[in-house]
Amino acid sequence: MSFSLKAGASALAILLSAGAALADDAFWKKAAEPYKGMTLRGVTEATPPSNYISDVIAKEFEELTGIRVEIETTSWDQMYTKAIQDMEAGTGIYDMVYIEQDIIYAYLSRDFLVNTTQKLADNAALKAPNYDEANFTTFANYFKGDNGDLFGIPMEAFIKLYLYRTDLFGDADIQAAFKEKTGRDLVPAKTHAEYAEIAQFFTDYGQANDMELWGTTAQAHTGHVASWYEYYESVAPTFGVYNWGIDADNNYAASVENGGQMNSPEALAAMEWWLSMRDIAPPESPASTWTEVGTTFAAGRAAQGLVYGENAAWIASDESKSRVVGNVGVALPPLAEGVMADAESGAGYIGYYDGGAFGIPVTSKNKEAAILFLQYMAQEEVQPGWAVAAPRITHTATYEAPEVQAMNEELGGYYDLLRDQGYLFAGAPPYPFHAQVREATAPIFFNILLGEVSPKDGLDQMAAAAEAELKNLGYRK
Amino acid sequence: MRRDRPWLNVLFWVAMSFVTLFPIYWLFVISVKPAVDLFSTPEVILTSFYWDNYAEVLSDRTLRRYMANSIIISTGNAFLCTTLGFFACYALSRFDLGGKESVFFWTITNRMAPPAVFLLPFFLLLTQVFKIGDFILYDTKIGMILIYCTFNLPFAIWTLRPTVDGIPKELDEAAVMDGASTWKVITQIIFPLCRPGLAVTLILTWVFAWNEFLLAATLTSFNARTLTTGLSEYVTTTGTEWGVMASIAVITLIPALIVFALVQRHIVSGLTFGAVKG
Amino acid sequence: MQSNRMGWILLAPTLFLLGVFGVVPFLYVLWLAFQRWNPFGANPDIVYIGADNFRRLVFDAEFLASVGATSGFVVFAVVSELILGYFLAQALMKNFPGKAWFRTIHTLPLIVAPIVVGSVWRLMTTPSIGIIPHLLDEWFGFQMNIGTSAPTAFLLTIIMDVWHWTPLVTLTLIAALVSLPPDPFEQAQIDGASKSQIFWYITLPMIQPAILATVFIRLMDALRTVDEVWMLTGGGPGAATRYVGLHIWKIVFPKTDYGYGATISVVVLYLTIVVCWLLYVALLAPRNK
Repeated sequence: MSFSLKAGASALAILLSAGAALADDAFWKKAAEPYKGMTLRGVTEATPPSNYISDVIAKEFEELTGIRVEIETTSWDQMYTKAIQDMEAGTGIYDMVYIEQDIIYAYLSRDFLVNTTQKLADNAALKAPNYDEANFTTFANYFKGDNGDLFGIPMEAFIKLYLYRTDLFGDADIQAAFKEKTGRDLVPAKTHAEYAEIAQFFTDYGQANDMELWGTTAQAHTGHVASWYEYYESVAPTFGVYNWGIDADNNYAASVENGGQMNSPEALAAMEWWLSMRDIAPPESPASTWTEVGTTFAAGRAAQGLVYGENAAWIASDESKSRVVGNVGVALPPLAEGVMADAESGAGYIGYYDGGAFGIPVTSKNKEAAILFLQYMAQEEVQPGWAVAAPRITHTATYEAPEVQAMNEELGGYYDLLRDQGYLFAGAPPYPFHAQVREATAPIFFNILLGEVSPKDGLDQMAAAAEAELKNLGYRK
Repeated sequence: MRRDRPWLNVLFWVAMSFVTLFPIYWLFVISVKPAVDLFSTPEVILTSFYWDNYAEVLSDRTLRRYMANSIIISTGNAFLCTTLGFFACYALSRFDLGGKESVFFWTITNRMAPPAVFLLPFFLLLTQVFKIGDFILYDTKIGMILIYCTFNLPFAIWTLRPTVDGIPKELDEAAVMDGASTWKVITQIIFPLCRPGLAVTLILTWVFAWNEFLLAATLTSFNARTLTTGLSEYVTTTGTEWGVMASIAVITLIPALIVFALVQRHIVSGLTFGAVKG
Repeated sequence: MQSNRMGWILLAPTLFLLGVFGVVPFLYVLWLAFQRWNPFGANPDIVYIGADNFRRLVFDAEFLASVGATSGFVVFAVVSELILGYFLAQALMKNFPGKAWFRTIHTLPLIVAPIVVGSVWRLMTTPSIGIIPHLLDEWFGFQMNIGTSAPTAFLLTIIMDVWHWTPLVTLTLIAALVSLPPDPFEQAQIDGASKSQIFWYITLPMIQPAILATVFIRLMDALRTVDEVWMLTGGGPGAATRYVGLHIWKIVFPKTDYGYGATISVVVLYLTIVVCWLLYVALLAPRNK
């Protein structure tokens, strides 16, 4: 289908569903009748998409159905602590939990979540007429079990992408200086060498002109796992090292000698390249988590960098938080040879597709009311307003909504990139031991950053530590 | 009398106050700056004020509820711990109880536990042991007041013991001789003499309860959430909202300051001895 | 002598509360220390494994490094706080204009929540844009980077702790000094004792119990520190400020290694008790004889 046709069809669909919404009110009222007066409790991270649920969607739902929804918003680590504690002890405090894409496998492995597909099939009276799993983007696949059933209703999705400053890249004098120095035109990098060249150029440029400007960002905190994530989610894959270099089909091997890739030459090249970028990034980089990287870029201290999509949005559009509004361009990250082909064929990926869903713990005492709310949240007509309030898209049709299109312009084409090239990105690998292996290897990773161990030795140690932890957990035989 | 030079003292304390206040001043600076300004060359003197953080915080109703919870829990816990600690100290000081020194030492070991792993049994206690029908102690203010005793009650006992021990036994023995009951001795003789110690204990237990984070974060969810857990909502994977967090922190200094002003006076009011010591 | 029954009655609520919320959880953790339990392991069940966790602990270089770093942190922080707090308490015993104000200002850090203290210090020390590195660079040309220099981070956690908790020491010592009876001091002055003699032979022995109580409280609180340091350095750079409280936190929560986390907690608790008991016996026992 051509683009305009698709857009037209979707616009029609939105019109139709808006009309249907009124008719559907009857459904919600009737379906919710037995649960009136009940209070649903959810726990989630205090991010803009979640705040929109508790501030807007929950209120509408309560008005319509008489079911109260209380959403507890808390910090990321607290959210997991509490959700896991509740589900593990079987207390039934929460009726809905936020599931980030990287923990779904851990939850599925423990059968913590209600199979929503099954639940709706078994209870026809609960199934909303306008709810259809086919409406979701492919991101929903991350929340499916082995049989293809959905265990979480997607609520947010982003990609981590390559951000650059269009004002600097478009400046005629800078372009000329760059051409003179490198013999190339100043355009967003396609390869690591090009990226490094641009980074070096801008760091030098900032120094020569006594500006607070550097050539790249680096999420390189020496004591916070943000740095670990930048390397494994966003740098290593662009060198062809996927899934942290652990081979799940080969007895969870991590080291090269056992068949893994964690300490492969590609992993080493990725590490060395990234460290060299860190060295010419702003001086705060060794103390930078995702928060600081976003702010560094928003303060205009970096000419380019890898930035999470949820931050890219406010950096590009919110004048109260950003000095580079209107000057942000988005592109795909620089890649090594062969990586794009891997990503196209599904054998690899070029960066991180991040997001989360809402699921119902099997310990919940109000599963029926909860599934009504989840369907309510997943309605097409709820989506555009939600996307504007918080830059997340989980439904294919949402891309075409006029307000989302307008925002796309403002964000330098971010939504177009998410829609058309999102499939090249991937979420965290399907490991139930995500946090465990991360924590086991992170201390060595920090030592590499500090130069206390060479990248080569450090990666060897990390591969060994990962295998030891996997053995300890019982996954590696 | 000693030859004190008051102006020297004042000078010293002005300098001292500058050091103490600087981070608090900086907290205020953070609260009146847009986030992006935190990442540019810093200036010590503020030239412009950005009040949006405060507007956001003050319009938030849940925050007011958190504030009320914090005040109730801290005050309830401080009074409970100070009272029970005071009784316990009197018992330990005046009675010849078998193994009392071991009991005294044992109380403080309750404060030593590294919190992380103890959250689990606390959670089970509050959700599964203290369960009457549908009611559980989890996420209740009374539950938090009781749980906070684990670290505040030992503290109260240990800070009050020297004070109670320091009161000459002859005083209460004389009163008992005159036929006063134990209760009367405690309330009419010991209590007034312990006022400075009690005031300090009350303040500090209050402070510990007010600032407590890990237990409150794990053991409450809607009804009994406190301010510190509210603060942590602004630390997320998307980024930390330094400005909002700082403005909440600045606002919450106010009730704490009031409590301090009310109680601090008593630290010296019981003072009858001279000020010359050492 | 009053009847002992009354004494036990006065003590009963304390014993009950600490029994239920102190001893019971401790027994649970002790039991857990002998189990293998990781809800996200290949086998998520609780399995009894005897003393395996303890055996693992003895050779756990990360844990030992954490204990080392923690000891340094605790000793430096607590000793500085004690000395500074004592002098400030003495200074506040004198009369001078504005005393009540200065005392209130001095105690202000106490009412700032640890998570906020950590945040403010983090923003003040962010390399190149925090106010402290900025001024150090401007005035002395000194480049301070908390992200790359372990000694800097270590020192900053201590400075932050001293800033935050010295007022606690000051307040408890004021309470002790205020309650001292005046007679011995008057007598000593009449006898012509010097200031330092009065300090060593009269003041110090008399406030020793209060000092001990304060040291204990600070010691165990510093050992348990999590939120402040987590916010300031995250335990970094590397493992330089990964103090025991934070170390256990990382094992119990992100890693969900409950059994091993319980083992470390039990051992740390045991070590703390031993250290405190030795201090207690050494300092107080001779006096009570």
